[in-house]
Amino acid sequence: MATQKQYYRRKKVCKFCVERIDSINYKDVKLLSQFVPERAKIMPRRISGVCTPHQRQLSDAIKKARNIALLPFTSE
Amino acid sequence: MRNYEIMFIVNPNTPEEEVDKINSQVEGVITSGGGQVQKTEKMGKRKLAYEIDRHREGHYVLFVVTANGDIVREVERRLRVMDPVIKYITVRTDEDTKRLDKVKAFRQRRATRRSTQQRSAAAVAELPEEPGEEEEM
Repeated sequence: MATQKQYYRRKKVCKFCVERIDSINYKDVKLLSQFVPERAKIMPRRISGVCTPHQRQLSDAIKKARNIALLPFTSE
Repeated sequence: MRNYEIMFIVNPNTPEEEVDKINSQVEGVITSGGGQVQKTEKMGKRKLAYEIDRHREGHYVLFVVTANGDIVREVERRLRVMDPVIKYITVRTDEDTKRLDKVKAFRQRRATRRSTQQRSAAAVAELPEEPGEEEEM
């Protein structure tokens, strides 16, 4: 009890569920780039809070976008 | 017949007319094979996310087509041999749209059900309270 955390951690919610974004399109770079941090890796669920079905669609879309050079594979 | 999106990148140094020529060629391949072109979109010059053949930018072109596998294979073969085309991708979209329609239909159904439920709940509230409930306290 002595080391109880003082701050309150907000519960993360899935952006796609909240904003009712149904289709995660590979052409929507603006949306996808929110989930691709500097190292150009796909942001893990535990950080972004995206739900499992949406994370799956999201990672598919990011991989497609990488293929057509809309998103980077790596940052040099 | 299935729906596909074919996207390709043309060398940035090719003039605009050349890009149009490539587009009409691709369109010709699709229509002659019995497919349909729903939409052609020139997305203009964009920066590439990474270098391809020492190019840093390229003309993006998007085709939305209804075609079968043979046509797609032929289009991809053509794109591969065309020198100005530096990269292409084909994505099948009909399964995605099917799933989306399902989600939309589900949502629609739930919305209508909810509104009818609300109406019945309002009807219940208007009724006089049942005497049996309070006796239990």
